[in-house]
Amino acid sequence: MASSMKAKAPTPALSRRAVLAGAAGLTFAIGTGGIAEVARATASPGRGALNPSAWLSIASDGTIAIVFPSTEMGQGSSTALPLILAEELDADWDDVRVEQLNRDDRSFGNPIFGNVLYTAGSTGVYGYFDSLRKAGAQARRMLMHIAADHWAVPLASLTTEPSAVVHAESGRRLSYGEIAALPYADLAVPEVAEEDLKPRSEYRLIGQSVPRLDIPAKSTGSETYVIDVRLHGMLYAAVLRAPVEDETPTSLDDGEARAVDGVVDIVTLPDGIAVVAETLEAAFAGRDLLTVEWSEAAPARRFDSAADLAAYAKAAGNQGHQATKWRSSGDAATAIGQAERVLEAEYLSDYAYHAQLEPMAAVAAVDPDGKGAEVWAGTQTQSWTMRTITEVLGTTPDRVRLNMMTMGGSFGRRTALRQEYVRDALLTSKALGKPVKVVWTREDDIKQGWFRPAAAQRMRAGLTAEGRLTGWHHRVATPSVIAYFNPLRWEQVDPSDIISMRGSESGFYKLEHMLAEHVITDRGARVAPWRAIGASYTSFAAEAFMDELAEAAGSDPLDFRLKLLEHNPRGRKLLETVVEMADWTKRSPSSGLGLSFAGYGASMAAGIAEVQLDESSGEISVSRFWAAVDAGLIVAPDNALAQIEGGIIFGLSSALKERITIVNGEVEQNNYYDYEILRAHEVPEIALHLQDSDGPPTGVGEVGTPMVAAAVANGFHSLTGRRLRHLPFTRDRVRAALT
Amino acid sequence: MTAFRVNGEAVVSRAAPDTALLWVLREHLALTGTKFGCGAGMCGACTVHVDGEPVYSCLTALSDVAGMEVTTIEGLSPDGSHPLQRAWVAEQVPQCGYCQSGQIMRAAALLKENPNPSRAEIRDTMSANLCRCGTYNRIFRAVERAAEEA
Repeated sequence: MASSMKAKAPTPALSRRAVLAGAAGLTFAIGTGGIAEVARATASPGRGALNPSAWLSIASDGTIAIVFPSTEMGQGSSTALPLILAEELDADWDDVRVEQLNRDDRSFGNPIFGNVLYTAGSTGVYGYFDSLRKAGAQARRMLMHIAADHWAVPLASLTTEPSAVVHAESGRRLSYGEIAALPYADLAVPEVAEEDLKPRSEYRLIGQSVPRLDIPAKSTGSETYVIDVRLHGMLYAAVLRAPVEDETPTSLDDGEARAVDGVVDIVTLPDGIAVVAETLEAAFAGRDLLTVEWSEAAPARRFDSAADLAAYAKAAGNQGHQATKWRSSGDAATAIGQAERVLEAEYLSDYAYHAQLEPMAAVAAVDPDGKGAEVWAGTQTQSWTMRTITEVLGTTPDRVRLNMMTMGGSFGRRTALRQEYVRDALLTSKALGKPVKVVWTREDDIKQGWFRPAAAQRMRAGLTAEGRLTGWHHRVATPSVIAYFNPLRWEQVDPSDIISMRGSESGFYKLEHMLAEHVITDRGARVAPWRAIGASYTSFAAEAFMDELAEAAGSDPLDFRLKLLEHNPRGRKLLETVVEMADWTKRSPSSGLGLSFAGYGASMAAGIAEVQLDESSGEISVSRFWAAVDAGLIVAPDNALAQIEGGIIFGLSSALKERITIVNGEVEQNNYYDYEILRAHEVPEIALHLQDSDGPPTGVGEVGTPMVAAAVANGFHSLTGRRLRHLPFTRDRVRAALT
Repeated sequence: MTAFRVNGEAVVSRAAPDTALLWVLREHLALTGTKFGCGAGMCGACTVHVDGEPVYSCLTALSDVAGMEVTTIEGLSPDGSHPLQRAWVAEQVPQCGYCQSGQIMRAAALLKENPNPSRAEIRDTMSANLCRCGTYNRIFRAVERAAEEA
C-alpha cells in the first residue's frame, strides 16, 4: 500500500470548541421558547466556562456560530435552519459558521417529534421556524442592550444592519464581535414578542435563494460522508447477514475466509458473521468464502410478497374485517348506502426500496474498557443513534463522542430506533480493540432493506344521479410501520399510524361524509418510512379513484375536483394554475394528460403528467410534468424547487419501475440492475410554480411525491381509456391493462 | 506492485492486482471523492478517467491501469474551478451530493469529446450515472452552462 500521497486525516467533525477557543464572546442556549440562557464564553476553553448548550455563539472576532440541530441528507436544511436565525439576528451571512449538533441534546429537539432529535417528515423548517426566529431576535436585542449601555443611549435610538448595531444620531457603530467582547453584567434573557419580529417585507435572507453552504464541497468531492471516514489503525468489516429476518447462524466454517491475506478475525454477530480485515477488499473477499448454515425456523421464512399482498387485498375488501379509524367526518357508510350510484375499486402497491446512493456504513472506535466510543454515523436522528450506541455498549451518553455525518441520501432509511449498521461497527470494534468501518454492499443494502410497505386499498364512494359525490370510504390494508421501526413510539400512538396512513384523509377536499381506516395487517418484510410515507400510495389510490368518479359523473377531472374545493381557495388556485401551465384543454392523440391534486401535511401540490405509451412493449414514459405548489412561506426558494422536482422524480421512478419482491422470506432483488430507478434519459421536463402564500412554512421535501403516481395513471387513462391500479406500472401490468 | 499515475503523481500500489481501482483510490490513497454506490457498473458514482476515458472504477482492476494516468474528481482542477464545477455551483445542482463526483467526471469526459453537446446528447451520456435525489434536469443545465462558458 505504498503511496506517495498522504493519508487523509480523521474526519473533521465540525468543531465548535475550535471556534470558541480563539476568542471571548457570548453564547446562547436555545429551547423551543427561544433563548433559554446567555453566558459569556472565555478565551480559554479549559476553564469550564463554555456552555455545553451553546446553540448560538458570537465571538469577539465577529464569527457567529449557529448549531444545526437536524441532520443533512440532501434536503438543504443545514443552510435553511441557520438562515432563519440569522435573519432575525440581522447577521451578515458571511460571518455565519454552521456546526452540526453531535449530541442527543433534547433541549432543542424537534418540537414536532416531542423534542426527539429526528430529521424527517419535511418538518425541519416548520418545526424550528418560530423558535429560531425568536432566538435570533432575542440575541439581537441582547447585543443592542449591551451597545446601549456602552454608549449610554436609549435602546430605542439603536438599529441594526448586518452584524452591527448602529446609533444613527451620533453616527456610531459597533460590530457584533466588538459588542460580544464588551464587559456587561446583565445577561438576563431579553423578552421579545411576535410583533417585535421582522415583517416579511424586511427579510433579506429568507426568500432570497441564498446559495446552499454544502454545494461547493459537493462539487469538488471534498464533502465527507461516513463511508469516507478513515482513522489511523482502522480495520474494515463486511458482514454476511442472515438471508431471512431473525435467523441466526447455526454452524460456521470460516477456514477459507481466515486464509485470505489481510483478514484479521471473524466475529459472530446476533444476525450475521463479520469478517474483519486490514483492507476493505480483503473483508469482502473473506466474506465471500464463509460457509454458514442458518436456522430455518424464523417466522419470516413465510414472508411471500405475492401471497401477502393477496391477503391484504382480501382484508381490504372484506368490510367485516376489523379496521382502525384514521380520520372521519359525517357518516360515510350511510351516505354511501343511500347513494344512487356506488363505485368501488381496489388499488395495490408493492414494496419499495429507498435506493439511496450511499450504502449503509458506520465507523466506531470503542474505548479499551468497552464502555465508551467515538462513533461516526450518518442517520436522521441523533437521539436514536445515541440510544443504539448506549444500549449496545451498556453505557451512558457521556461516554460517547458522536459525529453525525452528512448522508448520501436517506429518504427515511436511517430513522429506526435500532440501527444495526451502527451496532455492527461497535461490536466489531469492541471485539478487535481497534477502530472499525463497516461497509454494506449494494446487495446488502437491498437484501437487508427496510421497505415502504406493500398495501391494498379499497375505495368506495357514492354519487347522486347528477354526479355529486356524497360519501367517501378509503380502506388501507397495510402493516403498521411504526410498530416495527420504532416500537417505543408505537406505545405512544397505537393504533394510529401516520407513517402507514398519511394522505388517506384527503384533507384538502371538503368531503362531508368520509371515512379513512387502517386494516393493520401482518408484516411481511422489514418496513420503514419512505419519502412521503403513506401518501406515496394512499394519494395514488385517492387521486386515481377521484378520476374514476369524475368519469362516472360525466365530469371533467378538473371540474369534479374544483367542486370539492370551494372552501379551499389556495387549493383551487393551484389547480387553476397548473391547468394553465399544461394547456389542459389541448389534447393530443399521442399523449395523455393526467391531473392529480395531493400533497404532504399542510403542503399542497397540483400536478399534470404528460404520458406516452409504447403499446408493444407496454413501456410508459412521461415527457413533461407541471406542478403548482403551495408550501406556505418559502425560506429557500431555489432549494425548494430542487426538493419538489426531486420529489416528483422520486414519485415517478417508483410509479414506473420500483418493486421489491420477497419469496420464502428472502428479497429477490440484488442491485440497480434488477431494482431500477429513473435514469437521466427518462426524466421529464419539469415546470414548477411556487404559489405565494402568507401562511407559515409547511415543508417542501415530500410534497412533490404523492401526486405523481395518480397523475401518470390518469394520463394513461386519458390516452388509452384503461385504468392502472397496481403500483408500479410495469410493462406486463400495462400490457394486461390494455387487453 | 502496480505503478500508475493518479492526478499527475506517480504511485505504486502493493494491493493485489485484481483489487478494484475504486478501493485503491478510496481506501489506500485516501481519494474519497470517488464514491462506492453499487460495485456493478450500474450507478456511475465511481466514475474516473483512465487516460482520459471515463470508466467505472468499481469494475476496473488495479492491473488494468498499470502505467496509465488516472484522474479523479480531486484532480479535475487544482481548486474546484473546472467549468463544470463552477456550473455545478451556479446551478445549485447537488442535494445529497453523493453521486455528483461521478456525474461531474462523466460530464467532463463528454465535454472533452464534444464541447457543445445537444440536450439529447447530454441526456444520453448522463444516463450512465444515477442520482436518487433527482438532480438530473439541473445536471443538464449545468453541463450546458459549462459548455457555454468554457
